[in-house]
Amino acid sequence: MVEVLITVIKIVAIVFVFAMGVASLMTLLGDRKQSAKIQNRVGPNQAKFFGFSLGGIPHFIADGIKMILKENTMPNGANKWLHTLAPALIFFPALVGWAVIPFMDHYCTGSVRTLADYTEVCIDGEWKNYFSIMHSDAGLLFAFAIAAVSVYGAAIAGWASNNKFSLLGGLRSSAQMISYEVSMGLSLAGVLMIYGTLNLNEMVRAQGYLFGGWLPMWGIVVQPLAFFLFFLAGLAETKRAPFDLPEDESVIVAGYITEYSSMKFAIMQLSEYVATVFIAALIAILFLGGWQVPFLYADGIRFLGNHWQPFAENPDLWYYFTIMLRIGAMVLKVLFLVWLQFMMRWTLPRFRYDQVMTLGWKILLPLSIANLFITALILTIL
Amino acid sequence: MALVETRPVNRIKQNLWDKSYIPEIVRGLAITTRHFFRNMNPDKSQRSTFTREYPEVPTVYPERYRGLHRLMLRADGQVRCVACMCCSTICPADCIHIEAAEHDDPAIEKYPRVFVIDELRCIVCGLCVEACPCDAIRMDGGVHIPPYTERGAAFFDRDLLMERGGLSLAVQGGESK
Amino acid sequence: MPKVTVNGTEIEVDKGTTILRAAAEAGFEVPHFCYHPALSIPANCRMCLVEVEGAWKLQPACYSQVTDGMVINTKSERVVKAQKAVLEFILVNHPVDCPICDQAGECKLQDYYVAYDSQESRLRAEKVHKVKVFPIGPEVLYDGERCILCTRCVRFCEEITATNELTIVQRGDRAEIRAFPGRELDNKYSVCTADICPVGALTARDFRFKCRVWLLNSTDSVCTGCSNGCNIHLEHFRNEIQRYRPRFNPAVNDYWMCDAGRLTYKEVHTDRLLHPTNNGAELNWHAVCETVADKLKRAIDEVGSDKIALVLSPQASCEDLHLARKFASDVIKTSRFYMGGKRDGDSDDFLIKADKNPNRRGIEAVFGSTTAALPFSQLVDDIEAGTVQVVYMMDQYMPVDAATAARFVERLDKLKLFVFQAQHQGALAQKAHIALPVCSHAESEGTFVNFEGIAQGFERAFAAHGESLPHWQIFMRLAQAMGKPFSYTFIQQIRKEMFAPRPDSVASGTAEGVPVE
Repeated sequence: MVEVLITVIKIVAIVFVFAMGVASLMTLLGDRKQSAKIQNRVGPNQAKFFGFSLGGIPHFIADGIKMILKENTMPNGANKWLHTLAPALIFFPALVGWAVIPFMDHYCTGSVRTLADYTEVCIDGEWKNYFSIMHSDAGLLFAFAIAAVSVYGAAIAGWASNNKFSLLGGLRSSAQMISYEVSMGLSLAGVLMIYGTLNLNEMVRAQGYLFGGWLPMWGIVVQPLAFFLFFLAGLAETKRAPFDLPEDESVIVAGYITEYSSMKFAIMQLSEYVATVFIAALIAILFLGGWQVPFLYADGIRFLGNHWQPFAENPDLWYYFTIMLRIGAMVLKVLFLVWLQFMMRWTLPRFRYDQVMTLGWKILLPLSIANLFITALILTIL
Repeated sequence: MALVETRPVNRIKQNLWDKSYIPEIVRGLAITTRHFFRNMNPDKSQRSTFTREYPEVPTVYPERYRGLHRLMLRADGQVRCVACMCCSTICPADCIHIEAAEHDDPAIEKYPRVFVIDELRCIVCGLCVEACPCDAIRMDGGVHIPPYTERGAAFFDRDLLMERGGLSLAVQGGESK
Repeated sequence: MPKVTVNGTEIEVDKGTTILRAAAEAGFEVPHFCYHPALSIPANCRMCLVEVEGAWKLQPACYSQVTDGMVINTKSERVVKAQKAVLEFILVNHPVDCPICDQAGECKLQDYYVAYDSQESRLRAEKVHKVKVFPIGPEVLYDGERCILCTRCVRFCEEITATNELTIVQRGDRAEIRAFPGRELDNKYSVCTADICPVGALTARDFRFKCRVWLLNSTDSVCTGCSNGCNIHLEHFRNEIQRYRPRFNPAVNDYWMCDAGRLTYKEVHTDRLLHPTNNGAELNWHAVCETVADKLKRAIDEVGSDKIALVLSPQASCEDLHLARKFASDVIKTSRFYMGGKRDGDSDDFLIKADKNPNRRGIEAVFGSTTAALPFSQLVDDIEAGTVQVVYMMDQYMPVDAATAARFVERLDKLKLFVFQAQHQGALAQKAHIALPVCSHAESEGTFVNFEGIAQGFERAFAAHGESLPHWQIFMRLAQAMGKPFSYTFIQQIRKEMFAPRPDSVASGTAEGVPVE
């Protein structure tokens, strides 16, 4: 019973508070405020709470109310059933993926000791999964599998709208997502070989190793090319600029979202932002050490073989402090990556469609295969 | 065979590093990031946004701003205009409508029976003021054409324009005294 | 044939040519106020002074005749100085009230000041004040301050109308134009004085303050006031005729036209029929043509073609009449024509003709005979006798006395069908089963044949009022609706055809001349 309650709390906290909260704030802060700052504008500031514009935040509440109150239209000749189903098909995988994202290591009911190879073991107790919804040994596969499902939503939305632009948007979206999933997966193969696991939490744990006592062996250090490839492919996968061909405003109106209005439109927009945050979380976990804070361990600070132990008289206090810091680190890393993605979005112009395909198949794919071979070679030699 | 004039174009040779566009992307990111942080500065004067916060902060009109029309008056309060139609002829927006009529006083001879300016159609160019040979029409500095909710309210007729006007020192037929 | 040199250009001119004409032939303008080609030459304005080699004084170009080997300079320093001096002299007491003056824009003084003077006034004293807005005649107002005393108007009344109303009174800077005591400028051509007045001293009461002349668009047209067919500039602004101005044509009206003719433009804009109606209900052209065709067909079946009468209008152009004839003969198959048009009016021995219809000779030219149409009074009798049961009438004019006209209007009730095709509303339009709106001559193009048989074309000036169409286009539509369409696309095709069978009766071709005013 308690387990179920804990799971429910985890779902609410991670999916609805964190993922949805960040995503919906992104619609305002990332899309409108950040672009305004970059372009020397002020951005939205006219919606106010008691005369305070609060950095424009009331706008996203106003937008939400507007979306709910708007008429829900459906074009003539659209497939009613699929047209209504498609937003759900896009929204569902964007949320379900969060099940395997660890925000912190498992909680140890006993005391934690860090070994010489910087792995933490739980003594006199057991690991309790309190900080990710689901502890799965196939976590990464699960994330990929779920992410791939969202192609169906876009394609169905495009087809069911009975609109040329929507159909083109749906086709572009499916072609682009399928193309980039290949290089995305292959670029991670090297990482998987090094960590030897698909469990995301285990991967983060492995990144706690300090090389030479001072260099955290994060994914970005051991697999710099893979980080680069995965970041690019992730950008393309979330269909944000410069890869926002499926909703190329100047060419195909709004792509597969063209014929959606009201909350359906809001959900489709929102799931794109949730996908952005999800990719940011994956990158943080795979390449930026996830919840790891450098040199900070559950039983003290370690640097160049030295070991300090603050609050030595009360190790539990230090442990709670570490948990807080680690969750904060994870959140900050995700937010930074989201910010970076939006910076990319407002910096680079949109690609031409053939360039997107060229980049995916002729550049990213060979590079990720090369990365895989080189990694395999080095691992064999070592 | 026709001669074709050719001009050699020096193409910049790109190496592999340039072709990856990584340096250019980084440069672009640096620019946008610089802008982003400059405009996040809590000191608003240090930001490079030049948006005028219009309804909160009133606009400063330039010294030579030409705004709302007015019709000038003679010493006895009659309209200065003699309905020569110079303003309505030069008006590029065709927003001035004048109907001339015979004045009882033969020294004045002609006056505008109807004088209507469509302030919504007016493009505020000031050519009517330039064209007026009698100093009869002027445009106010600093006074903006007000917003209207009704189309008809934008038609300023002679009496309304005269209400806004003042005494003109011009003399009919130029300076004779 | 004397040979003269004007500003270095050598030309040969006829004997007796004045220097001004010779210079014009050589391509040099000599400014002038008092000279008018149709009037005698007083040489009193001194604006046209030119330098003649050998003569120690400057010579008035308008008056001096050329001699063989004369060397003329119209642009020498002395001439320029003289022109400036003359203009300054004329402007000494001129009020320079161009914003008020109606002549501004077509004023010679204004033009010459810009072209030959353009210096500031040196006068510091009070200007002489004279009479303003003086009603010198019923149609013309006089402004003494603007007058430059060129005496064009005085000479016009002496030489053209021979009525001698005007003269100059007082002397020196107090001189003014006045009518002789007990008289006023009330001849039938008085507004011509406003036309020839080089400044704004004489202005037409009708056009006064109505529109600035630079806003006017001018279209070459023909006056419809009488059968003289005076050539006019039809001047209009925003789809409305503002005035008629005579257009020089030595074969018809020279530089002149009558006051009554000038005012005929008002008819174009009063009481116009704007929409086709069927028993008072407005219809579109397609529907009304179908209705007329239907009714005409039924009438032909019931009463026979020979009981259908077509009232021709001598107000319509030859093109209209040609199609009326074709419509009657080919579509309705009747030859029962009656003559409409205005009643005869006053006349004189100059330009005004008793026949107030511009195109009576056009009917003769198109129909080939003077007896093609029966008189209108016959129509009233024929309706009463029952020999006419359907009337198709062009234009609302009835060339009969009031009693007969009233009788005609009354008898209209007896008709099976009365189709009325005219410009104006009125009793006939009220009675008509079908009323079709027609364009005026200002809204269509066509040809009028004047009383002497001179065919003169007129141009379209502006868009048609309401839904009105020219007569010929209505006949085209009706013929189409009746299933026997005419194959014309352009009015030129009708024009080519209309005089073709009977070219002997008309001296065709428009007489044209270029005014050298």
